[in-house]
Order: sequence, then C-alpha cells, then structure tokens
Amino acid sequence: MKKLIILFLAGILFPIELPAQEISLKGKELFGDMRARHIGPALMSGRINDMEMHPTNTRILYAGTAGGGVWKSSDGGATFVPIFDDYVQSIGVVKLDPKDPDQTIWVGTGETWTRNSVSVGDGLYKSTDGGSNWNEIPGFENSERIASIAINPNNTDEVYVGVLGALWSDSEARGVFKTTDGGKTWEKILYVNPSTGAADVIMDPKNPNVLYASMWQFRRTAWGFNSGGADSALYKTVDGGKNWNKIHNGFPPGDLGRIAVQLAPSDSSIVYAVLETEDRTKNGLWKSTDAGQSWEHLNADFGLTVRPFYFSRITVDPKNPDVVVKGGLNGSISRDGGKTFKNLGNMHSDIHDITFHIEDSDIMYSGTDGGVYRSWNGGTTFEIVENLPLSQFYHISVDDAEPYNVYGGLQDNGSWYGPSSSPGGVNARDWNSVGYGDGFRVLKHPTKNIIYSEMQGAENVWRYDADRNRTKTIQPLPGKGDPELRFNWNAPMAVSNHAPDRFYMGSQFVHRSDNMGDSWTIISPDLTTNDPAKQDQSKSGGLSVDNSGAENHTTIFTIAESPLDENIIWVGTDDGNVQVTTDGGKSWNNVTANLTGIPENTWVYHIEASVHGKGTAYAVFDGHTHGDMKPYGLKTTDYGKTWTNIISDDIQENAFVRNIQEDYENENLLFLGTEFGLYVTIDGGKNWSHFTNNMPPVAVHFIDLQKKTNDIVMGTHGRGVIIIDDISPLRELNQSVLAKDVHFFKTKPFTMVEDSGFSGNFGAETQFVGGNKSTAARIVYYLKKRHTFGKMTMEVQDMQGNKVLTLSPGKSKGINVVNWNYNTYAPEMAQAKTLSFGGFTPPRVPAGQYKIVLKKGKNTYEHLIDLKYDEKSLTTLAERKEQEKFTRTLFDMVEDLAYTVYELNGIQNKAQEVMDKNPKGKKQAGKVYDALEALKKDLVITTGDNYVASAEPELREKMGDLYANVASSYDRISGAQKQNFELISEEWSDAKGRYQAIMDKEGKKFMSFLEKNDIAAPKLKSKEEFLKKD
Amino acid sequence: MKILKTLFVLLLIASVVPASAQTADEIISNYLENTGGAEAWNNIEGIKYAGTANAQGMTIPIEYYQTKDGKQLLKINLQGQEMTQFSFDGDKMWTTNFMTMLPEEADAEATHNMKNQAMDFPDPFVNYKEKGYTVELIGDETMEGTETFKIKLTRKPMLVDGVEEPNVTFYYFEKENFVPIATEAEVKQGPMKGQMLKDTLSDYQEVEGLYFPFAITMGGGQPVTMTEIVINPEIDEAMFAMPEVEETEDKK
Repeated sequence: MKKLIILFLAGILFPIELPAQEISLKGKELFGDMRARHIGPALMSGRINDMEMHPTNTRILYAGTAGGGVWKSSDGGATFVPIFDDYVQSIGVVKLDPKDPDQTIWVGTGETWTRNSVSVGDGLYKSTDGGSNWNEIPGFENSERIASIAINPNNTDEVYVGVLGALWSDSEARGVFKTTDGGKTWEKILYVNPSTGAADVIMDPKNPNVLYASMWQFRRTAWGFNSGGADSALYKTVDGGKNWNKIHNGFPPGDLGRIAVQLAPSDSSIVYAVLETEDRTKNGLWKSTDAGQSWEHLNADFGLTVRPFYFSRITVDPKNPDVVVKGGLNGSISRDGGKTFKNLGNMHSDIHDITFHIEDSDIMYSGTDGGVYRSWNGGTTFEIVENLPLSQFYHISVDDAEPYNVYGGLQDNGSWYGPSSSPGGVNARDWNSVGYGDGFRVLKHPTKNIIYSEMQGAENVWRYDADRNRTKTIQPLPGKGDPELRFNWNAPMAVSNHAPDRFYMGSQFVHRSDNMGDSWTIISPDLTTNDPAKQDQSKSGGLSVDNSGAENHTTIFTIAESPLDENIIWVGTDDGNVQVTTDGGKSWNNVTANLTGIPENTWVYHIEASVHGKGTAYAVFDGHTHGDMKPYGLKTTDYGKTWTNIISDDIQENAFVRNIQEDYENENLLFLGTEFGLYVTIDGGKNWSHFTNNMPPVAVHFIDLQKKTNDIVMGTHGRGVIIIDDISPLRELNQSVLAKDVHFFKTKPFTMVEDSGFSGNFGAETQFVGGNKSTAARIVYYLKKRHTFGKMTMEVQDMQGNKVLTLSPGKSKGINVVNWNYNTYAPEMAQAKTLSFGGFTPPRVPAGQYKIVLKKGKNTYEHLIDLKYDEKSLTTLAERKEQEKFTRTLFDMVEDLAYTVYELNGIQNKAQEVMDKNPKGKKQAGKVYDALEALKKDLVITTGDNYVASAEPELREKMGDLYANVASSYDRISGAQKQNFELISEEWSDAKGRYQAIMDKEGKKFMSFLEKNDIAAPKLKSKEEFLKKD
Repeated sequence: MKILKTLFVLLLIASVVPASAQTADEIISNYLENTGGAEAWNNIEGIKYAGTANAQGMTIPIEYYQTKDGKQLLKINLQGQEMTQFSFDGDKMWTTNFMTMLPEEADAEATHNMKNQAMDFPDPFVNYKEKGYTVELIGDETMEGTETFKIKLTRKPMLVDGVEEPNVTFYYFEKENFVPIATEAEVKQGPMKGQMLKDTLSDYQEVEGLYFPFAITMGGGQPVTMTEIVINPEIDEAMFAMPEVEETEDKK
C-alpha cells in the first residue's frame, strides 16, 4: 500500500512529456460499455443438433445447437442458460466425462445435419470447470464438423472423436481420432479418404475396446448435394481402434449413404443401424442381435428413411432394448424392438436428437428445428422449452415506428415481426406471424401498413395488409414466351426508396412492380452466368433424391437500389456476377471482371448502395460453398469500374462475410456481418474490431441501421435478433478523441417518453424476455484509462448549478454509458410504522438543459444535455407546467410533514428520557408526550404492517398517495386531485395548528422545565439539514 | 505525461515481482501488499461499511458489519425506518420480512452458506489456503477495457436446493496495480439461476493504511457507494440477536 502511494507521488513529481503516439483504433476497449441486447424471439426457437444428459444428476442436461452455442439446464429442462458464448456457435456434439460429469465437458463444434444453410465449426473444446472456461484442443482446427465423442468410462483420459469434416470440399481432417492422455496428443485411427467422414462413433460402455464407426461419403455444392458412395461403410473395432473391420453381413450390395448406429445400453449385443442404400426397399432400420456380426432388415417406413443427411440419430431407451426412437420429419418410436414404428407426438417438425431421462423413460427430450421439447408421457405429448432464443434469421429489416419493429424470416420457422422494445421487455406474445414455411426476406412498405414476405424459392410471396388482416400472393410468374424463372431458395426482394409502391424481386432477371406486386415487368436480361451444369437439381441428394429447392443456383441473390438515384440499381448473383444499371434497367453493365481478389463464381452475398455517393457501393462475397472460408469485401466509388479491398487481417481468416452495413453519416464507419459475429471499423476498413460485448460469435446474416435511433440491428442465424443501441458515439471516435483523458460524446436531445402501459406476465415465468432499449438519457463518454484508485463521481445539475441527482459513473477504459431516468430525488417521508408509496416516487425534471458534472480526482469535466417533452404528450405545455408546479407543492408539503414528525419524535424521545430518568418532570413530560402521540396517530400510521394487516391510512399516506399520483402522471391534473388537495391541505393546516397549540402549551412548559433543570433541549437537525439529499 | 506515469508505476511494481510468469500466488501477494500488507489485513477484528445504495432518485443508507468471529449484519434505512436485511451471529441467520417488518429465521441452506461465507473475512484472499480455498490463474483478459489477470477462487461448496455445488468466483486483477476491478460468479438460485453476474470495484481509497473499493456495482446495475469504512468499529453485539416478536400490537 505504502509503495503504491509512493509510486503515485513519484509519477506526479516527474512530469515528463512523451511524444504523441498513434493510439490504436481497434480492440475490445474501443466499445467499452456499449453492449448488445438480445430480443429473441424464442417462441419458435431454432435448430438443435445434439442433446446430452448428465449421467447421474437428473436436473442437468445440455443442448448443443446448430447456430446458437451450448445451453445448460439445471432444472430438468424447464429453462436453459448459454455456457459457450465466447466461442463458435455451431455445435456438433456435447459430451460429459462419465467420471467427472459436473466439471469436465467436451464440445465438438460444427453442426452435423448437413443442410444447405449450415454454419461451420472450428474445432474441439474442453472445459474442466463446468463450462466457465474453455480450452481449444489443438489438432482439430480444420475439422469443420465434429459428430461424435466417446469416452472410456473406466479411463476418461481415453477419448475417441469422430470428425465428419468439411461439407463443401475435400479435407483430410476427417475420420476417427483417439487420445489416451486426455486430449494432449491424438492419433488418427480410422481414415478413408478426403471425401468420407465419420458420421457416428459409439462405444460399448461395458467393453470400451469395442467401438462402432459409420463412415459417410458426402459432398455439398451450392447447386447440389451428394450422399453416398463406395466408401460409405460401417466399421467395428474390438481392440480400441487398432483394427477396424467392415460389418456388412446382410446389408445389400452397392453404395451406401449416411449410416446411423446405436447399441442398446441395457444389452450391448443389440445394435441398431439405419441405412441409406441403392435399393429403396432395403433402406431404413437394420438390427443385429450379435453385436454386429449379422444384420436383419426390419423397417423401411417413411419415418425411418426420410432425408438421411438430415435425420440420422437412433436412441435406445436406456432401460429397455426394445424401445427405439429415430429422428425424422416427425420422429418415430418403436416399442417392439424396431419391427413397427409410430410417429412421436406433435412438436416442431424435423427431429434431430432425442434423449431419455436417466431414471424415468416416460420423460424424453427432443431436439428439433424449432428448439428443445419435453415429453412426460413417453413421447405422446410434447411441450416446448420457452427460453431458448435460437431463432435462425436469414434476413431482417426495420421500419420507422416508435419503437421500431424488426421483420425477418427464419430457417423452417416462417416470417415474423415484433417490436424492438415493449412494456416489460420483448415477450413471446409480442411477435406476429407473417408467413409460412422457411422465411427469408420480410420488408415493410415504406408508407402503408403493408408487409411483404416470402417462402422458399419464392413459391409464395405474400403481400399482407396488417390493418385489414388480408393476404395476397404476388410472386412474379412466367408469361408467354418467358423461360422458367429461377429463384434462389432465399430469393431477393427490395422496396424502393423513391417510389413507395415499387417493389423488386430477382430470379435470373430483375422484376419490377410499381403497384406493390400486382403486376411485374422484367427489367433485365439474365444477369447470372446461366451455367446449365449448375441447374439440374432434380438429381440432387445422391442415393436419396433431395430436391427441396434449396440448391437452386445461378440466380440473383441481392438487389440494391441507390438511395440517391432510382435509376441506379445494383445486382449480385449467387454465381459471382456483379451487375449495375444507371438507367433504371434499360442497360446493364457487368462489372464482375473489375473485382479484385475475388475468386471466380464467388457468391455475391450482399451489395450495399451507399448514401455517400451515387457511384459508391460495397459488395461482400461468400466463397464457403466452394470450401473457401476467407472474408471478402470490396468498395467502389465509380459504379464498379474499380474496387478496393476493405478487409484487413484483423478479421478471423475463416470468417466468411454475408453482410455489410454502412453508417449514414460517417463514411468510414462500417459494420460487417460474418460467420463468426460482428466486426466494426471506424477507418473505412483499415482496422477492424470484433464486437464481443454480450455478442457471441454467431453467424450474422443481415444487418440494418435504424435511422432515427442509430441502432444496429442484426439478424443472426442462431441467436435471434441482436441490437446495439445508438452507435453514434463511434462516429466521433478519432485520434484526437482517443488522446483525451475524458471525452463526452455529443447526444441528440432526449425525449422524455411518456409511455405508461401495463405488462402483466403470468404464465410467462419460464419464457425468454428480450431486453428493452432504455428510454433514459444516455450519457456517453470515453475514458482513456480505467478508473480504479481515488474518487470519481458524477452528478446532474441544473443550469444554475443546483444538484439534481447523483449518478454512478462507469469507470471502464473506452466508452462508458450512464443512464439517467430524468428523475430528481424522491421526497423525504415522515417516519412511521409502515412504508409510504410516495417515498418511492421521485419527481421528474422539467424539459431543458442540464449539466453533467464528472469529477475524477482533482479534475472536473462538464457536459450539457438537452431534454424535451414527448411530442405525443396528452397535455399542453401550460398544463405540464402546472402539473410540475403542483408536484413541487405536494413534494414540499410531504417534506414539511416529514420534518414536523421528525421534530415531534425528537421531543417525544426527550420526554421519554425525562419520564424514565427524572421523576420530577414526569408529569410535564408525560403531558407533552401524550398530546404529541395523539397528534402523531393522525399524522402517520403507528400500527400494522405493509400488507393485509395494514392500518387505516393517515395524513402521510393520503398526502403521499396524492403526491405520487400527480408526480408520476403524464396527464393534466384532474379535478378529483385538485379537490383532494383542498381536503388534505385543510387537514394539514389543522394538524399544524394542533401541533403549534401543543407546543405553545405543553411544549412550552416542558421546554422551560428542561431549561430550569439544566437538561439539554432535544438535539434536532435544522430543516435544511434534515432534507438535504445525499 | 499520463502514459509515462503509468509506465513508471508499472516499472516500479514490476521490480517488486517480475511481471512475466506471474503465478496466482504472486498476484494475490502483490494485491495484499499493495493494499496494506497481509499482516495489517490479519490484524482486523471487525469492519463496518457505511454507504448508500442508489436506485434512481432514492438514496438508501446501508450499514454492513463483519467480524473476524464470523458475524455479519446488513442494515438498511427506508423512510427513516431501520431494518435488518439479514443478520448472522455465527450460528443463526435471520432476515426481516418486508410485509410484516418482523424478523424471520433464514432457511437452513442460506444459513449454512452464510456460515461458509463468513470465512471470507476480512477479504477472501487473506489466508485463503488456511480457509480451504483454492486459486487458479486462468490467464489474461480484457475487463473493463483494461488488461487484467483472471483468477478463479473456489470456496467451500455451497448448498443449492439440497445439493452441494461448487462455489466459484472469478476475480479480475488489474495488471497495472494488482487490485481486483471486477468479479464474476454464477447465480445459484432464483430466476437468474445459471447466469453469470458481474460486480465491478473501483474508487479504492485508504482507510487506516488499508485500501478498500469505495464504489461497487452489483450485478452490473446496482451501485453502492461507501461513505465510510471503519476498521475495528464498536459493535453492539445485541443487534445480531433475533428480536422476540411481541405477541400483540404495541398500543402505546
């Protein structure tokens, strides 16, 4: 300690100036207190990849999600919390150490149900402290998707990892890996070839040297999928992976596809497999009763054979080898050892994993495309877990309502819109459905209460009249002589900035409608490469045809009309073309050849037409469907003739980019949506910072900037809508700001919002509730250094320097945000036996200018802010002023009473003292005590409690209630309030009279007794001192 | 000049213990040394923290007492009424019901956990080994925008709904001066169960040769500001006793 003081002194004594040095414009400290808030929604949740049960504690289970990280439940699945928010959010498998399940958790990243829209993982992680901290296990960096982890229950240092591997390219980082030292070193013990990965790896828990591994040959491109080949096979080892043998005795000849394998925990000789073969009749469930030596085909029902790449999980009841469950469109359950199956009960479709409770097989947990479901009756009825905000947005947009709404479409969960803030927080019930199927782009008409939405491949495009609750389908349809229209799975649409009824859509052509989709005109030639090799989706899928439309290719993917000129329209295609027209579509300029550093045919994911210049635009490119994960982003200022790279090394090398959003004021401020979260630059792309404040590295598919609030709104593919409120401070950051010790950021005048609705929420106890945007004044400042030693305070003052309120300043290095609710101090209340509501009601300050005074050590920093009344106020300004004045009158009256009761108590205490100690004065003291007590009983409550044993209200309560009602009201003073005031004033005036009378009579005698007997008078604070605030 | 000062301070602290290869023990011993020395911390018999909790517009005075023999008490003052939010005499814990304003005995689990928590006195890191606590240096982390050491402190397990759970708090020691500026711990009960809550610590000031944080933000939102910290205060032992509830209302 002493040393510290000396050190500080030493620093002050040697004031040597250093030459100015460049302060880095990046890093975590840049964002300081700016935190993202999550608004979900959770009502439709999102895709689950894997469920994991604790082996001994029935309260604990985990969900590994497709795009939203790892979630843990400690209450038997009633609620979940995220435990993997600092790492990649796409999860393949979660596994607990059988010996140390509370502390040691393994997570293999990268989802394994390989649909077109999957995210990617980046390796294997292990926690040894129950998920608080994680370490990446070296050696799996390129694994992309980890499907299985098997741990020897007798020696948990022995672990097998099944790596499915890269979906979009060849990779040698696949196969089965083994460690015998808890993960320090690994050996690849089963590998087939660069296109065949490990789909399932399971261990016989009774004999950990016995393992089964299914190897799967598979590949996805942007325009097709292939499951199966000569190299798919089911293997078994009985010597811990030294030797592997194919166990196909009974399987049909020919190629195999994805194979699911599972053994019955209660009888290891029973093994189930689900096959995808060349012979439809041989697909589905196979069973072995001799640990894989021979196989018998049992069932080829739809539920067992549907979409093997998406549904390939078998679960066997831990207590009964005849109860078998298979994931699928609806999920299937057999109670006769796999001979017959029925569907599981109603829940969200697409069931990827099912687990049984460890003690009661009636209880099941199901991981679906729409979250986690629980069953209490063996799978007949299911209920959803309501606090998993895993929604997977493809796209979002915002409107200009107050508060603004967020619109968006979701993987397998339709289209929705909901408010960015709502009374009590953004609840499930705040969201409105505006489309079926898979949802993608949802756009609000700029002026009318009309919403456009769509489903996959523009099979339906809806125009929804929200006021009249009417829907019309308006997708462009081919006319006579038109070729077949090719729409992307996620077909682009755009509304015009210049003509409100104008609406664009893209197939291979740009379609324009000037009447909200009633009729369409094609305004471009085919803008894609129109490569026929990428247009035959009828055979997509491999052994099982899977032509859902998800692989439609050579299509337009992004359309951007210039906000400055309606004739400038940019188009990007999924096969790599950037095209631009400057004459409203009469002629198109293919500028693809001018792109620099972008491999051919790289998906143009988004084009942002700039507000900073007609020829200025940003384009981002996503090569991951070619196995190229690199981030790509370019800027042009000359209509695409030349492009410059805006990506720096700060961005993770495999964080491919899907979206970019420019700031409308500062051209150098850009927001980049990548596979691993949000990046921000404040210098036009020279340096980028990863935004991580309450923002997991989740795939950001779309970003919008709400113009009025300056909020960044992100549609994430796995964590719903995430908002960063008011990013305007970032506009001001530059070298000179960063060099200052303290810098206050400019803020627009704050509106004191008068909303005062209700938010009852019974029945929503286990639901996710999204955070609201604060309506408080945001005081935003930059600190060059974290404040740790010495005092630092902040207060609000009026322009005369009177203290209005003390605030608690943030002390972080970087940006700090302090909220002020426009309140001043609550009144001092008269002391009583119970609490009065009035004492919890601080008055609001009037609109006007206020000083924020920050004191840090010896230095004082000041900043002015402006407050204004809500334009939607119910009152006139004169009425508001009258209410403020009336509030102040009542406030003073409440405090007058408080001081009177304080005085009265002080005298009573003295009287009590005299009664106790001084027999001579007992009579006089008693008189004054009793007289005051009688008065006090009319002033304040002296009996009862704060609940149902409460006493009748006395003057303090009546006065306090009136004060609180007037002070917290946003409306004019009511007649009833004025009448009530007259009554209370009169009572108060009477009471004061009574008090004076007592003091003139009994009080005077008592005081003179004290004086005569040299007893000190009651020691009382002055009124000013008594009422002093903090 | 500020930068130089920082460098200078760092340099001198670095000369006390090499900055490289810090161990958890070194960081903790630096912390105790920089805030008054282990011996001075050991000599404390009791501490009174007086301060205010600020909730927009309301300033609620609080008093918190801790003693070496394991007593703890938190008093707040609302509208002139003093209320014991909780009291623990080393054996029995009671709280005040806000509806009836009457004392009620705390549940067995809370009492058990409080008994363990009382061992923290005067600071969890003083004699942490003797207390049966363990520490682990997790690594470097940017916290509150600044460079810190992240140390995991494991206290005795706590009881949660009838089950023992690990009692872990992460402390973030600012590298520049080795004092904790933030802590994080998992919420063990209630609707926030399972979530991590962060407290921040700042405005360290000297009290009789020891340094205490005078500004604390609890759970990322609720600020508490100390107005006075008293070392070895006079303590009325009677306040720890659970008051007898009078059978009928006082009709004075």
